[in-house]
Amino acid sequence: MPPEPANNPDPRRFDVSKATLWFDRFMGWAIRFGGIGVIIAVFGIFWFIGKEVIPLFKPGAVVKAASVTSGTTPVILGVDEWGEMPFFYSGGNKVVFVDGETGARSELEVPGLEGLEITASSYDPLQRRIALGLEDGRVGSFIVGYERLFENGEAKGVKPFITAEPWFELKNAGGPVTAISYGDAGSTRIMAVKTAEGKVEVIRLGLKGGLVGGKKLSVTAEVDITPQISGEVALIRASQNGQMVLVADKTGKVSYFLADTQGVTKRQEFTPFGGQGLAQMDFLFGGVSAILTAEDGTQEQWSLFRKTEDAERLFGMTKDFPDVGDGRVTFAKSQRNRTFLTGAGRGLSIRHSTSGVVRWEGTVDIDPAAAILDAKGESFWIASETGEARKFEIKDHHPDAGVQAFFGKVWYEGGAGPVYQWQSTGGSDDFEAKLSLVPLIFGSLKGTAYALLFAIPVALLAAVFSAAFLPADVKRIVKPTMEIMSSLPSVVLGFLAGLWLAPILADRVPSVLMLVILVPLSALLVGYVWCRMPLAFRNRFEGGNEWMIVIPFLALAAWIGWSVGPLVERMFFVYVEPGTGKTIADFSLWWPQATGTSFQQRNSLVLGFIMGFAVIPVIFTIAEDALSNVPKNLTAAAAALGANRWQVVWTVMLPVASSGIFSALMIGFGRAVGETMIMVMATGNTPIMEWNLFSGMRTLSANLAVELPEAPVGSTHYRTLFLGAIVLFAMTFVLNTIAEILRQRLREKNKLV
Amino acid sequence: MPAETENERFSTTGRSRKGEPLVWLTAAGLAIGVTMALGLFLLILVKGAASFWPKRIELFEVKRGETVEMIAGYVTQTQERKDAEGKLVEELQIFRGNKDVNGEAFLYLDVRDIVSRSAPEKLLLFERLTYGPAIGEAVAIETKGGRTAVTDADFMGKLGALISENEKIRAKALYIESKQIGKLSAEIEEIGFDLKAGRIPAENAAARKAELEKQFAKLKAEADGLEDGMAATNIIYKIADGRERPLPSGELLSAYTPNTTGFFGRLGEALRRAWHFLKEDPREANTEGGVFPAIFGTVVMTLVMSLFVTPFGVIAAIYLREYAKQGLMVRIVRICVNNLAGVPSIVFGVFGLAFFVYFVGAGIDQTFYPEKLPTPTFGTPGILWASLTLALLTLPVVIVATEEALSAVPRGVREAALACGASKWQTIQRIVLPASLPGILTGVILAMARGAGEVAPLMLVGVVKLAPTLPIDGIAPFIHAERKFMHLGFHIYDLGFQSPDAEAAKPFVYATALLLILVVVSLNLTAILIRNRLKKRFAVSSF
Repeated sequence: MPPEPANNPDPRRFDVSKATLWFDRFMGWAIRFGGIGVIIAVFGIFWFIGKEVIPLFKPGAVVKAASVTSGTTPVILGVDEWGEMPFFYSGGNKVVFVDGETGARSELEVPGLEGLEITASSYDPLQRRIALGLEDGRVGSFIVGYERLFENGEAKGVKPFITAEPWFELKNAGGPVTAISYGDAGSTRIMAVKTAEGKVEVIRLGLKGGLVGGKKLSVTAEVDITPQISGEVALIRASQNGQMVLVADKTGKVSYFLADTQGVTKRQEFTPFGGQGLAQMDFLFGGVSAILTAEDGTQEQWSLFRKTEDAERLFGMTKDFPDVGDGRVTFAKSQRNRTFLTGAGRGLSIRHSTSGVVRWEGTVDIDPAAAILDAKGESFWIASETGEARKFEIKDHHPDAGVQAFFGKVWYEGGAGPVYQWQSTGGSDDFEAKLSLVPLIFGSLKGTAYALLFAIPVALLAAVFSAAFLPADVKRIVKPTMEIMSSLPSVVLGFLAGLWLAPILADRVPSVLMLVILVPLSALLVGYVWCRMPLAFRNRFEGGNEWMIVIPFLALAAWIGWSVGPLVERMFFVYVEPGTGKTIADFSLWWPQATGTSFQQRNSLVLGFIMGFAVIPVIFTIAEDALSNVPKNLTAAAAALGANRWQVVWTVMLPVASSGIFSALMIGFGRAVGETMIMVMATGNTPIMEWNLFSGMRTLSANLAVELPEAPVGSTHYRTLFLGAIVLFAMTFVLNTIAEILRQRLREKNKLV
Repeated sequence: MPAETENERFSTTGRSRKGEPLVWLTAAGLAIGVTMALGLFLLILVKGAASFWPKRIELFEVKRGETVEMIAGYVTQTQERKDAEGKLVEELQIFRGNKDVNGEAFLYLDVRDIVSRSAPEKLLLFERLTYGPAIGEAVAIETKGGRTAVTDADFMGKLGALISENEKIRAKALYIESKQIGKLSAEIEEIGFDLKAGRIPAENAAARKAELEKQFAKLKAEADGLEDGMAATNIIYKIADGRERPLPSGELLSAYTPNTTGFFGRLGEALRRAWHFLKEDPREANTEGGVFPAIFGTVVMTLVMSLFVTPFGVIAAIYLREYAKQGLMVRIVRICVNNLAGVPSIVFGVFGLAFFVYFVGAGIDQTFYPEKLPTPTFGTPGILWASLTLALLTLPVVIVATEEALSAVPRGVREAALACGASKWQTIQRIVLPASLPGILTGVILAMARGAGEVAPLMLVGVVKLAPTLPIDGIAPFIHAERKFMHLGFHIYDLGFQSPDAEAAKPFVYATALLLILVVVSLNLTAILIRNRLKKRFAVSSF
């Protein structure tokens, strides 16, 4: 008898190896970590884009940075580019400089005075020029300059200097000058002067001279404008373009003089505050708008614009700002944008003229007699009559942003009224950015609308036929074909639209119109004729192949439509040349004449058709799925009750699948809104707002692709483009979510049946 | 639905007439859709292929008022134009080359002005390095030693020999210029950075630099010598108006007589052109030469993208399907992931620019390349950032496909594995993942197809119209992830819309579009085929 096998099995034989368990746990955590990480990362995208946008909507902030004493009563306060060393000028023969950090005081002599008394002075921060009028009737100016000092390669401190400029003698007027204003546009300059006798003169200066020794500044004209001003002069201002002078009298009447090739002429007289005197009047940066403040603190912006297209450029009130309050009015304009610092008494505010909003509001601890914004717009200085001065740092990186600027109508400088406009960059420094997203959103919607107008009928008809009538083996080929169409790179479609289709269709619009009418009609006609055929004939064919049978008829109709187009054009779309009365049969000429809108080669018609290639497959696939998944017992029941094949489709399939079809439309809409390359290449990219079929548009997506690579990082323009991206994202995300939820509900509903 | 049978469809037309025209209308809808899809492929195929096909060169006698002008060229397009009365007039667009003489390579001819058309056998098409092709009759080959006239029996043979010889010299010069000189200048630049960062003493750097510069000058002289040698030989040709012009042989790339070759000869020429299109670098503001850097850029970018997107997409999908507690939260996440696929690609581009380029890239520069600042290294658009951006863009595609594949693995299989004592990870690793591999692959291929065809985001994160260097080359560190790159899709946009000579670029645009479409469609077809096979497998194995 063999010995019994030892019956003591390893008690741990059912245990899983430690390594396996450990590894399982490790992988479990790794995947959890990785998975959640990926999902968080994906949603982090939108957080990050949002983060870039938020600064746009932050109000401005102001922080007190320095306080110094100059010991003089300033008439003029100026500062260097970096806001470090303000200067104080009280109308004497000395300019006082005070270092903002150490409080160290230094003085420089005003050049060329010859001991005469200064009777008038004014300051132009753009050129840092102080214009002076003397008791002997001479006028002149000098420029305060600053030199940057470096220590070990790092900027440290500034050194002021003064550059003398020539003096000019007034020929028509003598005696002390009581007010002066100097406008400098380089080669053309203008001075407006008031003398103690009550005379008001405009002096035009020009740079003249030979090639050698540089150009010399000399008086080109001296015009007495006193007779054209009715009341006693209170304020005079010359503009930075060297061509305009505004004169306000004590009764609040403002006269506008223009110096052009025809001389100096009075163009307009306006009364901004109904007879109330003006406390302040000054041009804004750019010299197209002026800010006027009444004695009671009411503040308005008046800008030059043409009321109608061929009218003269005149001043009109474009914006009404909140009252500045009671007290002595302070005003300082920015030297880089349309911001200005204003206020009354100790209450100050920073305002922006484009959107007409108050960026910051607060009180200061001295009574400001003069104020100045530095050239970068990063700080401002104020000085009181007692010689106290304060520096405040401005933290307002995007003064021209805001809900009103992005989505509201804004009255831009030079415009005849408030408009929605997108024009983010311009040629000159004093360009006023127009950042309304509305035209871009409109463009996106317009492009989408025309794309869907063509895509929806084709896609839905195709989906119905494919789901209800197409044999399964054919469907296995047809459906992937359509799906591959959706993966066509949109850059190819865009290039075909812009370079191939647009030139062809430009001359053939009537043919296209005929196609749109004849092709569907021909299909209906074929159907009509077919069902009137004898039953014996019809029964010989099996259904499901209609789509192939109909192709030759469609082709025939298309050919007829295409050929008939020019005939139709000759009959209906005849352009009459206005001058000669000659008639030309040309749609592209006729359309602008008949409707007053434009005709462009890259228009919505071309776009709508080409976008079809991108949108049709998307709608088709989803709608087809929804229709195919209608429970068979429903359709079979309908058929058993005697419904014919169309009635089954119309009364059962379509209603049951309606939410699925709706979600297909939503997703198609999303695809069209976000489409970029086709929009860039086929729309002409002009941000116009009209539904005209024969004009282009600029869409949000195309705008991003075109402008973002050139936008400076962190600028208002850059962040506004990000805002556009968010709008685009929100539009598609919301639509897609609705579509997805609808689709899921439909799936559950169909399960229950 | 493979189970669908004939009687479940409403195929029979029946007796009733009601709604029948509408049925035909839906049929027309499908017909239009399918025609559009196929028509577009056909259009690109024909136009793309035609751009390589050598056309016969014709000699036109054209009435210009009183005088008659001779114009040699081939017809590129016949189009309709409206004249002043609004009547349609047929117009020929003729490519006559000789841009150095005529200024414009293209010419529009009113059909009514043409007196006669002929196709003289002697006309040649010279492909040149600059100014695009020249069209004319060959006259002679002029060397310092002597002159071979066209009457010479073996003129064409000699011309061919000259061309192939020059090709070798050019290849050698190119090797010296791009490889050897490129390496040297990279080294010189490196010394500058090392010096700035204080890694090497100044005197060593100066000595090394001087030596490198000496080598540099020597190589440059060698390359110049090669080019001068080619310039010594001239080919004299006569253009249509009778003027004779010299063509330095170094400029000549190929000479071809389209009017004497037969069908197969022309086919050969077309294939040769297609081959050159694929392998050469672009010339003449991208309107001549080839698209090799664009192909290379597209392939590298797509591959790097799939390298990123596959692991992350699969891990996220496994988490969602196998590990996460199925509830409202996961449902919401799933809907959101689905929706991400519908978010416009440009939005991803915007994010890529802000996050990868300006945030991560600038951070890398600050940390690792401070000596090169303010010139950015990674803080500027480049191929790495482009790949990462597109990886994010295509992530939903992979996640959705993988999830679908995972959920298609039958429950019974998993339970069997677990019942056999496998741990959860073992089940996933050995049973679930292998079974769903084809599905995952489908997702990855679809992602690649989407990524390869996407252009809009690339415009923000790294694509350029002309990249002087490839992202992978023979100069250390071999892979230059920070470099900008060329892309087929962007090439289309650039050629069609930014090119100074849009007409001359047109054939290239069609050819590039054909190439891109072939890539995208073949990727898609592969994915569809895998998907179909997958469906069959699960149809059998499910229980």
